[in-house]
This record gives sequence, structure tokens and C-alpha cells, in this order.
Amino acid sequence: MRNLIQFLKKFRDFLIFFVLQVFVLTLFFNSKNYHRSKMTNTSSNLIGWFVEKKHNINKHFSLSEANEKLLEDNARLRAQLPESFYQLQGDTYYVNDTLKKEQFQYIPATVINSSSTKRNNYFTLNKGTAQGIEIGMGVIADDGVIGIVADVSDHYSIVMTVLTEKSSTNVKLLKNNEYWFLSWDGLDNRFAQINDVKRDIPIEIGDHVVTRGGGTQFPEGIAVGTIDEIIANDGEQTIGLNIKLDVNYNAVYHVYVVKNMMRDEQLNLERRFTGDE
Amino acid sequence: MKDASLEMNNAWVKYGSYFILIVLIQGLVVNNIEMSMYVNPMIYPVMIMMLPFEFNILLTMLVAFVLGISVDAFSNTFGLNASAAMVIGYLRPTILNIIKPRDGYDPSLLPSIQDMGKLWFLTYASVLLFIHHIWFFIIEILRFDQIGHILLKTIFSLVLSLFLIVIFQYIFYKPSKK
Repeated sequence: MRNLIQFLKKFRDFLIFFVLQVFVLTLFFNSKNYHRSKMTNTSSNLIGWFVEKKHNINKHFSLSEANEKLLEDNARLRAQLPESFYQLQGDTYYVNDTLKKEQFQYIPATVINSSSTKRNNYFTLNKGTAQGIEIGMGVIADDGVIGIVADVSDHYSIVMTVLTEKSSTNVKLLKNNEYWFLSWDGLDNRFAQINDVKRDIPIEIGDHVVTRGGGTQFPEGIAVGTIDEIIANDGEQTIGLNIKLDVNYNAVYHVYVVKNMMRDEQLNLERRFTGDE
Repeated sequence: MKDASLEMNNAWVKYGSYFILIVLIQGLVVNNIEMSMYVNPMIYPVMIMMLPFEFNILLTMLVAFVLGISVDAFSNTFGLNASAAMVIGYLRPTILNIIKPRDGYDPSLLPSIQDMGKLWFLTYASVLLFIHHIWFFIIEILRFDQIGHILLKTIFSLVLSLFLIVIFQYIFYKPSKK
């Protein structure tokens, strides 16, 4: 009788353990798709507050490096201003451009918390819905693609970076527009991977890979990286590529959230066309 | 009677403040130690390790669950830390039983390095940390072709976690009696 009670107690403990495990593991595996993550994270107001306090202490240690990066970017942009071009023709016409319409706006934000050596790496930004950020928007830095906004509160948001398990960014080869998905195997945060590349495409080491555009998240042609290694296994139909990423994820201080002005239009159209059954 | 209830309250305050302290240290300091892809140190298991010897298994799991969820909120891991913490919460009584000294545990002592000695504590902490870390990285990575990576990550992280936990004990815990 005592043994039986002992056994029932053990069994009850295990049952509780098992139920709780199923609960948290379900949360964890669901979180890999950004639109299904339903748990408190660093974008919540309370945790975000702590993280921002920490950032306010830490930021002084990286100020000079962050400033240098901004300076470089300013110089590059300044070179594109009309004033920095020498006028070759005397009479040019000013055309109010009605052929082009602004599609992308950029919301600047500061990274207040980040990880880059975990299996799934997230950045916390100091802007949220109050500044117009929504789940699913793309995020870029000066030197390339960062990721996609996964969750957002009033004043904070978290970004699921390229360095996560389920991230798949639409990328293409700059020179001939071949396109693939970029993924990450979790082994080295300087390299991402492209799998299932057809063998007959002319690819060389050093070729540039950029975003494809066409989705709603990124404009076309944002830098991603360069081809570093071509992995061709005998007997396989396709080859794999190792991409050296342009962004150093260990040192990202300022980013831009991409606001696509035509996002709803595109999504509505696509939904109407494919979803109305 | 009055003394007992006062002691009870003291214990709540003590463990409550350890809990908050440990979550904040993990979330705001240790999470930012990013030396390499192979090192992901974790200090918060010390909270589970330091519970009294006779602490009820269900309460241990409850502490582990709340602790894990809090750390998850700081680390964007969505339940992964809770899962690993509950594994060692569930297994802790068994492990304490296996490494029991010949004359059992003195209930007035705590499972700390000061009370139980270096050898005993390092054995206890390494076993719990190994189970915690290997569970954590297996669930996190979940790829059989990266089993070597999982093992290396477990071992390197364990060394640093153990180091941090020992330092933490020397800073924040005093010997129970002298």
C-alpha cells in the first residue's frame, strides 16, 4: 500500500512535469514563425524598460564606433546630393517627376539589445507602434539587411534577424537576377547559406548577393553579402553557397525600419487573387 | 510560534530577492557575454541549485518554471529556458539522492560551496549544469548532423557557467553557520 502511494506520487510528479514541458516546448517551437510568437519578450513594455536602462549605461562604450559608422554613411550619402555633381550641361530642365512615386520610407531606430551568437538572434529596437512600426516590416542597416520585425509594443520592437533558424530572405544574384532564399545553419554568424542552386548557373566566388525586392519587406538591391564558398557535392543535383554577410551582426547600433507605402495594396491584391475560394 | 513565522517571512524575502537579482544578472549582464558561437553561459540555474535540500519537487518545478519564463522574456527564447530549468528542477531530488554523503544532509545547511565543500559542490553543479545545457542546446538546435557542435557548445558554456556560479556564490552567499 505504501509502495503504491509512493508510486502514485512519483507518477503525479512526472505527469505535472510532462504537461508543463509540452506547454513550454509548444510555445518555443511556435515562436520560430514570427507571426505565431505569443510570449513575453524584450519588446514588452516592462522588459523593454529594463533593457533600455541597460543600453543607456552601455552605449557610452560604443559611441565612437557608432559615430564613425554614421560619419561614413553621411559621406556616402552626401556624395549623392545634387550639389556634389558638376553640371556638364548649362540648360537642364527641371521635371516634376510624375513617373515615380515614393514607395519606401525609413524609420530610424537604435538597437538597445542584441544577440549574435545564439541559435536564434533577435535585436530589440527603441521604437514601436507609436512611431509607425508594424509586425512584418523589414529592417536594414547602412551596410545591409538585418531582418524582419517579429513583435512590437508601444515603444519597443524586436527584430528576427537573418541569423535565426526560420529566417528566409528573398535574395538574388546582382549580376543576372537569379533568385533564391537565404537561410542560416547556426554555426558561424559571419556566413549564411543558400541551398538548392542549379548547377548550370554561372557563379563565381565574390559575386554580390542583394535583396530581390518584390516581397513587401525590402526594396530591391539592398546589400546582403558576397559568395564566399561554393559547395558542390558529387551526385547531388544542386549546389550550396556560403555567403559572407556584409553586416557585422556583433556591432550594429543604428538601423532603419522599412515602411512600404504600398504594402497593404500589394497584400490585398495578392490575397484577392489567391485566397478567395 | 512568532519566531517561526518571522523566519518564514525572512525566507520568502531572501529567496524572492535572490530570484530578482539572478534574473536581472542573467538578462542584462550574462546574456551579453558573446565571445563566440560556442559559448552561451547561463548563471540562473544557481537559483534552482541553492534551494534547500528537502524542498518539495513540485515547488522546485514551479520555481524553475517561473524562473525560466522570466529569463526567456529577457532572452527572446520563448520557453526554451523554462523547459531546461524544469528538467533540472525535476531531476534535482534524484541527483541529490545519488551524491548524498554517507550520513545524509544536514537540514540546517544549504547546497552551497561554503556549506558543502568544493568537491561536493562542483560535482553537484557540474551534473546539473551538464543536464541543463545539453537539454537546452539539443532543443535549441535540434539537428542530428550538428551533434558535434551541440557537444562543444555544451562543454564550453558549462565551464564558463560553472565559473560564474562559483563567483556568484562567493559574492552573495555566506556560510549558514559557524
